[in-house]
Amino acid sequence: MKLALQLAYKNLLGAGLRTWLNVAVLSFAFVIIIFFNGLMDGWNQQSKQDSIAWEYGNGHLRNNNYDPFDPFTLQDGHAEIPSGVNHITPVLIQQGTIYPEGRMVSVLLKGISPDQGIIKITTASFKTSSVRFPAIIGNRMASSAKLKIGDEVLLRWRDKNGTFDASNVTIIDIFDTTVAGVDSGQIWMPIETLWDMTGLQNHATIAIADSNYTYKAVEGWNFETQKDMLQNLDDIISMKKYSTAILYLLLLAIALLAIFDTQVLSIFRRQKEIGTYIALGMTRTQVVRLFTVEGSMYSILAMIVGCIYGVPLFIYLNKTGIGMPQASQDMGFSLADKIYPIFGIQLIIGTILLVTISATIVSFLPAKKISKMNPVLALKGKLQ
Amino acid sequence: MENHIISLKNITKRFKVGEGEFTALKDINLEFKKGEFAGLVGPSGSGKTTLLNIIGSLDSPTEGQALVMGNDISKLSHKESAQLRNHHIGFIFQVYNLLPVYTVYENVEFALLLQNYTKTERKKMVMEALEWVGLTDMADKKPDKISGGEGQRVAIARAMVKRPEILIADEPTANLDAENAHIILKMMKKLNKELNTTFLFSTHDEKVMKYLNRMVSLRDGSVEKDEIIAKEAYM
Repeated sequence: MKLALQLAYKNLLGAGLRTWLNVAVLSFAFVIIIFFNGLMDGWNQQSKQDSIAWEYGNGHLRNNNYDPFDPFTLQDGHAEIPSGVNHITPVLIQQGTIYPEGRMVSVLLKGISPDQGIIKITTASFKTSSVRFPAIIGNRMASSAKLKIGDEVLLRWRDKNGTFDASNVTIIDIFDTTVAGVDSGQIWMPIETLWDMTGLQNHATIAIADSNYTYKAVEGWNFETQKDMLQNLDDIISMKKYSTAILYLLLLAIALLAIFDTQVLSIFRRQKEIGTYIALGMTRTQVVRLFTVEGSMYSILAMIVGCIYGVPLFIYLNKTGIGMPQASQDMGFSLADKIYPIFGIQLIIGTILLVTISATIVSFLPAKKISKMNPVLALKGKLQ
Repeated sequence: MENHIISLKNITKRFKVGEGEFTALKDINLEFKKGEFAGLVGPSGSGKTTLLNIIGSLDSPTEGQALVMGNDISKLSHKESAQLRNHHIGFIFQVYNLLPVYTVYENVEFALLLQNYTKTERKKMVMEALEWVGLTDMADKKPDKISGGEGQRVAIARAMVKRPEILIADEPTANLDAENAHIILKMMKKLNKELNTTFLFSTHDEKVMKYLNRMVSLRDGSVEKDEIIAKEAYM
């Protein structure tokens, strides 16, 4: 094998431009694969962190009648906060309607304790507000409803008996988050205020657990762990990964096709050389190995070339992040303004293995033909 | 009974041509002793190269038995025939067949890389081989930077560096001018005497014939004449 490596290295360098063209395409495939996967991993990690920080906490204790995917369950999907359960922040969710600039917009009213510290909603501003109905909204909501801090907007809601009531609420703060799940179409209020408004004293729809929470079965409530809640995000990211994989696998296929093509051509063009190797005492297996190693060595050279321009690029991107277009903020799932790609060792080793093994396979396939080659005809350079 | 390094018994070689067959060698019976400087002569298509290919274990006879250093060529596996070529047979080709990406030194070293020599041993042997052919100063040059005569001298060094028992040269002077052809032949003759290597040529070049100790004339795949020109080759 050492001999094959030495000879393959010399043959590749001796082949000049053809080698470097293949290496360039393959190194590009290397860098693109690592880049896209790094971007996805970075997005995944960032989204998870943001979702935990802004919405999920350590999991949700959820009223059995409430289904977050069915708005009709909001009416009855609440109950008194379970007693004896510590380290939770109750949230009451009710439906309402606001009328900004004469438009009618359905909203979710979310009541939460001003003292909570589990999620990053800026509830502390409730404590310093003196208005009767203070409200906090996210930047998406502010943008879609054209609301800003200090604005008053008419809110209509129903109390526990189904009676409609209405009043102006004042926007006291607008928070900036990447998590649409706590922002779009939502108004956050102090839970006590919402209890007063609805008459649902001491009721909650969900309760957000903090890191000290220990699960204890509570009748009428079920606990959804942080991992369960992140599953959706994982599914979205892995689906996205598959779709982007098509792009870089196409690029990889082009690079591998170039290697395959070079190998096929080499075997025809270098027949005399193959015949000479055999005449000098190389076994056919050794010649096949030499050509296979030559092909797979493209991937090693590509890795080195890829490192030369890829590593500084990855370090730069990892530090500065990649800006996401504004439109992507309304996609309905957590997407930051900037994504900081993560280029983990697992990703890099996985990519190296993928490219090297693929290059070896596409090199071996045409090289197999050598084992059936007649050395006499090969020495004459006659096409076989 | 004399000890023959090459023994060919009733060798026949047929090739498929289209749907028919072409007989390249017909019932060849020849023996060569160690240290001979012999040539297979004859016109194109007489079977010279085919016979050399069989002796060099690059091909096998359709019928008959070819014994090279006691090995029956027809019965050798690919690996065994590669071993035979690697250790005991050197080749010189008409167009030199130097490996273009390697330097002169590396071309000569190539045959040794397939054997278990250390780097120091290889260096010593390669430089010695280059000294035989007078090319020590061209060790670092690539084949495209040297002349045809020099190229063929590199090919001789490459073939001789492993000190094979048999050296097969297929039309070694066909691409050389008269002066270079004589230089090459003198060099081979000298190596033949010094190292007692058996040289087998295929040629139809008059210049080569003058140097031969034994000349086997082939015509239409059969031995027409087998004449010993200089007895000292058998001494």
